[in-house]
Amino acid sequence: MSLTEQDILRYARHIIMPEVGGRGQKRIKAASVLVAGLGAAGSAAALYLAAAGVGRLTLWDPAELTEADLTQAIAHARSSLGQSRAASARGKLLAINPDAAVAASADPDALPDLVAGHQVVVATAGDWEAVQSAVLQAGASAVFAGVQGAAGAALAHRPGTACLGCIPAEERDRAGLRPEGEGCAVAAAGGVVGTVAATEALKLILDIGSPLTDRLWAYDGWTARFRETGVSRRPDCPLCGGD
Amino acid sequence: MMNACFTPEERERLARASVLLIGCGGLGSPVAYELAAAGVGRIGLCDMDEVDLSNLQRQVLHHTADVGRPKVESGREKILALRPGTQVDLHPVTLTSENALELFRQYDLILDGSDNFATRYLVNDACVLTGRPQVHGSIFRFDGQVTTFVPGQGPCYRCIYPTPPPPGSVPSCAEAGVIGVLPGFIGSLMAMEALKLLAGRGTGLTGRLLIYSALDMDVAEVQIRRNPECPVCGDHPTIHELIDYEQFCGGVGA
Ligand SMILES: [Zn+2]
Ligand SMILES: [Zn+2]
Repeated sequence: MSLTEQDILRYARHIIMPEVGGRGQKRIKAASVLVAGLGAAGSAAALYLAAAGVGRLTLWDPAELTEADLTQAIAHARSSLGQSRAASARGKLLAINPDAAVAASADPDALPDLVAGHQVVVATAGDWEAVQSAVLQAGASAVFAGVQGAAGAALAHRPGTACLGCIPAEERDRAGLRPEGEGCAVAAAGGVVGTVAATEALKLILDIGSPLTDRLWAYDGWTARFRETGVSRRPDCPLCGGD
Repeated sequence: MMNACFTPEERERLARASVLLIGCGGLGSPVAYELAAAGVGRIGLCDMDEVDLSNLQRQVLHHTADVGRPKVESGREKILALRPGTQVDLHPVTLTSENALELFRQYDLILDGSDNFATRYLVNDACVLTGRPQVHGSIFRFDGQVTTFVPGQGPCYRCIYPTPPPPGSVPSCAEAGVIGVLPGFIGSLMAMEALKLLAGRGTGLTGRLLIYSALDMDVAEVQIRRNPECPVCGDHPTIHELIDYEQFCGGVGA
């Protein structure tokens, strides 16, 4: 996967940094990311992954874009009302980066099967246990992230590290690590948590920095406080135990 | 049980509020979308640059088709596409000691997304002199900082950075690079802080400086205090009007 002259101009601010460089930018271009959920956090994550030059993006979200979405998710426009959120975000991503191959799926049953064939999954909605199982089976990496109101949380996983199932459900819930659903969300808080998810996806692709693996990270927008809890792999995990 | 999102009363306050964005680049991009989404009534965009291809890796307010267009015009289009009722005022000018005070008086809150030290000191002094709160953010490579300066309630930018760095000692974004998603994180934090201040809810960042490392995924917090000797907000200020900030910063922007 080589870089074109246009790529070198567009990604100049990445390429100049030794942690990315031309080599890293090629890795980003060769990468494939599945973004599940185009609400508050997923919208911000998808926009920044497309802008960063991820070569192939798949967007999954069965919900139809509503007025309420426009107050909490920034990858959409009023003119897309009535489309699926996946299709709406696809249009926005392509306007930012026409070089990306962006696919959209609004099929509610497609999610766990979509995981195969992607290097990283950014999961902000859907059945996270099913996503984690598919990620484990595919040997892929994942970032789970979501926002409720102005608070949210994130966790990264790559083969060998703690998976979603290694964290007891009550502990996840206490930290606010849940898929986004019907509840309201503040777009700015979605931006904070979604960009953390995108940052972690890029770090996993580039293999740089200290990833959020084995670390449950949380943000509370109302107090501007951040919290982190260490987590570890559990032999009796219902998802990854015994492999 | 607290409302998870802004209450109708708080949204009413946001609808009556006005925010001036200094810069429609990396930091201004998420802020513009997120303030509009929250229903801020009037958003001012101050930037005289045009969209460049090398901006698009991080400045998600602009599309590929916008390359070559004024950033403020591209920004207005995106805000209106998300929330057509927003009043968007364009200021396609360089912020100077001549125009800053009059401009700032037209807004409730100033959001500094500038990328050079001369503008940061200018924004700071103009905020102190007009009594406007300021949400401040800066980015460098994989690192960023965010805080809020509220005149009379805590420190100002000069209290914590009394003197600018020697010219040329801090490389620019073009020279040092920046990971594209970094301004997305810092800008979104800034937007959240601006919304809280305008809605009158939550605990803000006055007196607290957040220091972020994307590589470590770590946010450290440092307590910052008003300096009684500060030349602009101290007990006996010596700066009563805007000065020549290019000269103060050594003749060049960072
Ligand atoms: Zn597990
Ligand atoms: Zn001061």
